[in-house]
Amino acid sequence: MTLEVKELTGGYGQVSVLKKETFTVESGQVVGLIGLNGAGKSTTIKHIIGLLTPRGGQILIDGISLHDDVEKYRKKIAYVPEMPILYPELTLREHIDLTIMAYDLDHDKTWENANKLLKTFRLNNKLDWFPQNFSKGMKQKVMIVCAFMTDASLFIIDEPFTGLDPLAVNDLLNIVEEKKQAGCSVLMSTHVLATVQNHADKFVLINHGQVRADGTLDQLKAKFDMQKDSNLDDIYIKMSNEDL
Amino acid sequence: MLKLWNERLRRHQLNQFKYLRLIFNDNFVLAFIVLIGALGFWYSNLLGTIHQPLLLGKPIVILLLFLATQVGGIATLLEAPDSTFLLVKEKEFYRYFKAAKNYSSFVPIVTLALVNFLLSAFASRGAGMHILDIVVVAIGLIIFKLGFLNVNLMEIYGRAKFGSLSMRLVSNLLLVVALIVSTYWFSWTMIIIGLGYYFFLNAQSKTLETSGQLEWKYAIETENQRMFRIKRFYNLFTDVPGVNSKIKRRKWLDGLYKPIKLVNNNTYLYLFARGFVRNNEYIGLFLRLTVIQAIMLALIDNFYISLIVEMLFIYLVGFQLKPYFKEVMQNLMQRLYPISGKTKIADFTKLSTIILSIQWIVSALAIFYKFGFSINSLIIIVAGLAVLIFVNYFYMPRQLKKYLD
Repeated sequence: MTLEVKELTGGYGQVSVLKKETFTVESGQVVGLIGLNGAGKSTTIKHIIGLLTPRGGQILIDGISLHDDVEKYRKKIAYVPEMPILYPELTLREHIDLTIMAYDLDHDKTWENANKLLKTFRLNNKLDWFPQNFSKGMKQKVMIVCAFMTDASLFIIDEPFTGLDPLAVNDLLNIVEEKKQAGCSVLMSTHVLATVQNHADKFVLINHGQVRADGTLDQLKAKFDMQKDSNLDDIYIKMSNEDL
Repeated sequence: MLKLWNERLRRHQLNQFKYLRLIFNDNFVLAFIVLIGALGFWYSNLLGTIHQPLLLGKPIVILLLFLATQVGGIATLLEAPDSTFLLVKEKEFYRYFKAAKNYSSFVPIVTLALVNFLLSAFASRGAGMHILDIVVVAIGLIIFKLGFLNVNLMEIYGRAKFGSLSMRLVSNLLLVVALIVSTYWFSWTMIIIGLGYYFFLNAQSKTLETSGQLEWKYAIETENQRMFRIKRFYNLFTDVPGVNSKIKRRKWLDGLYKPIKLVNNNTYLYLFARGFVRNNEYIGLFLRLTVIQAIMLALIDNFYISLIVEMLFIYLVGFQLKPYFKEVMQNLMQRLYPISGKTKIADFTKLSTIILSIQWIVSALAIFYKFGFSINSLIIIVAGLAVLIFVNYFYMPRQLKKYLD
């Protein structure tokens, strides 16, 4: 699986938030999408999953765009939004069934995956609950389960660490690692730099809707003229100070 | 504070006008005229059958007047952020609420005047009351209600207590007693009690200005509920954003979904069917309209009115289902599913066909009950079927398309 974002320009309405963004996510790579509030992380993600239409440039997954084959493109992606979005009228069990139906997945095999994930996140005894009875963190876990039980090859997670308890963060990182070993790719946007620094292979730094820099931690240090022992936080602050 | 109130009132009224304009479209005006016509027809027929005062006449008048007096409370137009941002201005809120109370007296006055006016025909015929007595009671009730608005105000301050009893309860008891005395014996009682009550409560609520402490949570919740009721009413006729309704599991109805197989094609039918049954708003609407229709059809003896009621109500239920489709379409996650818009609309049409067919069968039974197996029954039922087909296969698919993105 390869995701290619080429010269992506776009945004909401008439305003272009993104200006000619270019980066790639390769097979088996975990990529961190990093930037200040309002830099354009979520907008980038919304373009990739197809909720927004690019005004210019291209987004390709394994060489095909959303325009080429909508269903094929969408089946390759699993998405966990920043704010959990659930159906108020469906129970947890029904959310899983619905996802299986929507993505035309193998019922028994997917349930096997789902059960494992549900157990990990301690949701296995809440299958008959409605979303209104879940806390925010629990809802987020439901979103994670519904995304990671599918056989998608690109996982896109928007701000996964806020709102989750430390145990769940750890569990999520393990699941991400597992998917990575299986050859899937993961793109996650986050502000929790210390965590992402240890678990991502590559970082894409976004500022004012443009890719300021991308690469591994060492490559970034070189680009920003930083010392050997500096970390992602230092780079981030340096990037933010460039505006001043 | 007064500036804040005026600003909010202006915005609120602007909003109301916007919705009223949407409500009073052709569909609604048509339905409204038919409904008013049918009710007026029924009322005048009913009056025609009364030749001498009834035993239950006065109790009915008392009950209806009591209920009419309950209509309308203080519209505070408070918003949830107020409890954070305006907390420091708490003392000044009294003047804000004073203005709110004045504004809120409009709806009860109109309601009471209108109800009394409409009821006067029955009151004089069925309850044997004198016209002058009816007018006196009406004026007394309005004064009483103006006093009662103070109770709403005191509730916001958590001070609506009369000894250990709730002020609301005491007021309503007083109201019932006053109504009974003034309808059976001496109508001026209502005005006398109303005036006394009004002045007493006005004096009571004055003390809030200096010593009142707002019950923010209660005040905001009450206002939200009030807004919700208004919006839910508007929502019967047009789409109102932000109306979230209650959801119930209704496990005992799970059997209904059995025929829906867990396959890709049924994804949206699976979702729509459960949502419709569990969301009080939509199933409630369907049940209300179906029951009202069945009752009207079973009572009305006029072929043309029955024909209009049959066609109109089936159309209305179909029309009211649209917002449900829109609501689901606004869910971001479903937009990512690899499923075409055409399938979504087809699945929704399946659901609406089932719902309207149930309504059609129920209405057909009511028609057979009233008209028997006659050519008239047949015409009405076939007309209903025609509307059902029109709504599901011509109207819906076109209308739903615009909600897809």
